[in-house]
Amino acid sequence: MFMKTFEEKWTAWIDDQLSGRELDDFLASLPDRGTAEVEKQSVKQLGTFLREQAVTLSNADFFSHQLRERLDREEDQAEYETESTVSGWWTIRRLLWGAATSFAIFIICAVFVLRERTPASQSQYLSEILSYRVDPSVSPNASITMFEKKDDHVTVLWVDGLQSLPPEYAAK
Amino acid sequence: MHTEATAAQPDVSEMELVKRCQQGDTAAFDELVTRYRTRVFGMIYNMVHNEQDAWDLAQDSFVKAWKSLPRFRGKSSFYTWVYRIVMNVTIDWLRKKQVKGAGTEFDDAVQLREVDPASKTLPRAEALPHERMEQSEVRARIDQAIAQLSPEHRAVILMKETEDMQYHEIAESLGCSIGTVMSRLFYARKKLQNLLRDVYENV
Repeated sequence: MFMKTFEEKWTAWIDDQLSGRELDDFLASLPDRGTAEVEKQSVKQLGTFLREQAVTLSNADFFSHQLRERLDREEDQAEYETESTVSGWWTIRRLLWGAATSFAIFIICAVFVLRERTPASQSQYLSEILSYRVDPSVSPNASITMFEKKDDHVTVLWVDGLQSLPPEYAAK
Repeated sequence: MHTEATAAQPDVSEMELVKRCQQGDTAAFDELVTRYRTRVFGMIYNMVHNEQDAWDLAQDSFVKAWKSLPRFRGKSSFYTWVYRIVMNVTIDWLRKKQVKGAGTEFDDAVQLREVDPASKTLPRAEALPHERMEQSEVRARIDQAIAQLSPEHRAVILMKETEDMQYHEIAESLGCSIGTVMSRLFYARKKLQNLLRDVYENV
């Protein structure tokens, strides 16, 4: 045991932990060995006194009983918390799955409804024009644009670049 | 280190009990508690000077030990490990109490009855009234003297003098060096000698 300070050496000497050269050196360093020996006996007396006065546990069995009950209670609580955490996660997962499914159904319905509604909302007149095929060999740069204002029930059809009107249309 | 195990119980090794505890055997833990409960309680009582607080802190320490047992790898002895928990719990409690400014309390009402070492529960015949009074006064002096030490100094001197622990065991329990233990022991002894010399030299 390597001791640096006087306190450490003194403590080791009191507890009879010094031996050989370390002990000799320490004893030689003491200014008054007689006083030191008296002090050592006093410290030993103090130790004995403290040991004799040590407190005892008067209700030892009740202590163990209470401890067992507390451990049981805490284990039950821990199990309950684990279960509730797991069931909580199930609820959250179910909610997430429910939300995702609902959203997917909503999207599918919305697409379906929009697809259904688009042809109906489109002007019958425009549908006819769009479905009418402009002959690209006759009018290669032909373009048809429609402006519609539903509130005023007005539709403007802008046809540009036609070289000639198709005979069916002209007939109308 | 002395334990509370009696002849009626088979001398199961501590490590065997620890292994069983780690597998969830509460009976094994009960056995370990029986071995150390009195010493742990006495140690804590000397630190806090109040029977009820010592009881609660000892319970807290054992609960903490039970919860931490799965992490115990057996690098130190079980009792050194338990004492480390006990010291952490108690010193933390003392520091919190100091911060709250509650001051030092003495449990004068505590009835300290000697217990026959052969028995775990049955007290010896009651002492005479004047003996009880003397004993109570001596106890109060010890409590007052120890209360004047810092929690760390209290821990060191109690582990050394009442538990008869080695320097390295105390160092392990407190998480400090052996040199620190020896130095604290030096000052704690000096202080207690000054405060209690008239008591222990006349008992």
